[in-house]
Order: sequence, then C-alpha cells, then structure tokens
Amino acid sequence: MVIPLTAYLVVAAVLFAIGVYAVLAQRSAVMVLMGIEVLLNAVGLNIVAFWRYTAPSDYSGQIFLILIVTVGAVEMGVGLALMMLLFRNRQTVQVDKYQELEG
Amino acid sequence: MSGIELGPALQWLAFLIMAIIAIAGALGMTTTMSMFRSGIFLMGSFLGVAGLFILLLADLLALLQVMMYIGGMLVMILFMVLFAHDPGGDKMADMQMSLVERLFTLGIPPAKSDGHGPGHNAEQQQHEEMEANEHDQSGGSGGMQAMSGMDMSMTTEIKSLAAGVGLLTGIFLVGLVILRPAWAQTGIMPELNSAEQVGNMLMGKYMMAFEGAGLLILVGIFGAVLLARAGRFAKDVDRKKMVAEDAAPQPIEADELQPLAGHPESLEPVSVPEIHADDRS
Repeated sequence: MVIPLTAYLVVAAVLFAIGVYAVLAQRSAVMVLMGIEVLLNAVGLNIVAFWRYTAPSDYSGQIFLILIVTVGAVEMGVGLALMMLLFRNRQTVQVDKYQELEG
Repeated sequence: MSGIELGPALQWLAFLIMAIIAIAGALGMTTTMSMFRSGIFLMGSFLGVAGLFILLLADLLALLQVMMYIGGMLVMILFMVLFAHDPGGDKMADMQMSLVERLFTLGIPPAKSDGHGPGHNAEQQQHEEMEANEHDQSGGSGGMQAMSGMDMSMTTEIKSLAAGVGLLTGIFLVGLVILRPAWAQTGIMPELNSAEQVGNMLMGKYMMAFEGAGLLILVGIFGAVLLARAGRFAKDVDRKKMVAEDAAPQPIEADELQPLAGHPESLEPVSVPEIHADDRS
C-alpha cells in the first residue's frame, strides 16, 4: 500500500476526461466508440482501486467490473453493427452526416 | 504472504510507467489523425490499465482486460476501420513528417459546412485558421491544399468546446479526488487466489447477474447479426434489379388488340341498362 488510493483515482479521472473529449470531438463513429471504451476503462480502474483499498476481502467489486466489461462488449458489438448498417446506406461513418436522425 | 514484494521505489516506478502508458495511449488515440493508429494507441492504453490492475493485485481482471478489450473489442474496431476506410491514414501516408508529428497529428480543422448561420463565432474561426496554419507549417508537404476541396477533418466543429468540456471534467474530477482523500481504507491484503473467490461468488451470490449477462450477450448477438446482415438490397444496383419495372409501352400501330374490321357494331356504345331505385327489392 505504498501508492495512495488518490494516485489511481487521479489516473482514472484523467482517462475519463480524455474519453469525454474523444466522444465529443471525434467525427468518425469508430472514434466515438473508442472514446467510450476509454470511459469504460476509467470506470473500471476506479472500481478496482476502490475494491483494493476499501474492501479487499469482498470480491463484489471485481464481479461488478466483469459485468461492466460484458455490457461494454455487447454495446460495442451492437454499435458496430449499427455503424455497418449506416455505412452501407450512406457510405460514411461520420456522425455529423447523420443529423437528420435526431428526433 | 508468498510472492515477491516489491520495494516502494519499484512500486512507484511500475505505477508511473503504467499510468503514463495508459494516459499517453488515450491521448494519442484522440489526437492522431489516422484511425488505425488510434486503435494501436488504444491497445497501449488498455495494456497500461491492465498493468495498473496487476499492481492492484487484481490479476484476473488484468487478464480479462487484455482478453476482452484487446482480443475482442479492439479487433472488432480495427475491422470496422478497415471496412469503413481511413481517410486520415491515407493522407498521412503522403505527408513527410517526423516521427512525433506522425504519432500526434492533431488532425485537420473542419471545413466550413453549409449549416452555419451568419452568427458563427468569428473567434473560433480565427482559432481554427490558426490551427490550420500551424499544421501546415509543422506537418505540411503541401498535401493539404491538394485535397482542400473535400472535408477531411477528423474532428467535429465543436472541437474547442469539447476540449473545454474535457478539461473542465478532468479538473473537476481531479479536484474532487484530491480534496476528499478520506475514504475509509483498510490495510488488509486480498487473498492471492482471487480467481477462485470470484468464481465462487459468480456461481453463488451473483448467479442471477451472471445469467443475466449471458442472456444479454445472447440478445446482443442476435441484434448485431440482425442489424448487420447483408440485406436483400445491399446496393442500389441490386435494388433496381429486384424491383419490377414496366416495359416501354408499344406504339399503338402495333397493337394486336385493335378491333377487327367488318364488325362496326362493336364500335357502338354499349347500352347501359337503367337501374332504378325501385328495382332493388
């Protein structure tokens, strides 16, 4: 326990900020999905750090992370399938070409 | 406990290396122009986070991270990059850049689209022009002007706003974390056979969550296959081939069904029997 919990949390916070920037600023839907993966990674790092430092005898934190990774994988698969559908119809994956999709 | 206990200096060294790999990978992911390079940077970031997991004694999760994120999702993403083209990477191949510029190209500023009202922010425009000039000076071999007709930028027009939001989020979160360091921490070492513990909990206490995740994966597979399956009308050409169109009508002279000569009575108007309301009984 040499490294304080705060160090891990700071790394996760920086990762989260980079992910937010990537999701907002990137133009290609593939890059937006990559940003979402960075966000999920930051959340996972937070969970594991809190598990290790506050409740290391209860493994629920690890199971929570496993579920998050599962849901993230499903989301990535469905997102890529949607993107493939849109690409087939429009020949582009740039999100600002889909502006008429907004409700 | 068994196992190798690293000294404090070594632990800090490992932590710093892994944290720098994770953060630099994420930064490179979002700043480079080529989507393929973004994917490779993202792999570096995942590896860094996996190293942090190992430092946190969650080795099962580190393995899961490498297998799921790199082995699964990143392969999907790189496949999608190959499928949907990589204009930035194509462009970069033509430029002459040093290695650092090649890794951290900031992308081309977005071209002005038609959707802009007259009240578009002049300051932002100026900023983008400045960025463009910088990029031309630093990375340019004049390849940018050649393709200036197309909108090749990798970022949306709200890039500076997004950078502000990201920066604010980072400052807010780091501030929160640093200002409230008083979590109730315990000094207990977790058991080293965490895989066994996690497996027992997955099959016992968290059985329903486990099964629910399995069901979710099943439904997700169905949905993804349904969405991405090649439809019957994948391309417009095929669609036109499938839709029946009327042939061009033949000219009236060649009509075989014209009335035969010699039956003039057939041209008389047919007398319609009168129908009175009283007849309906």
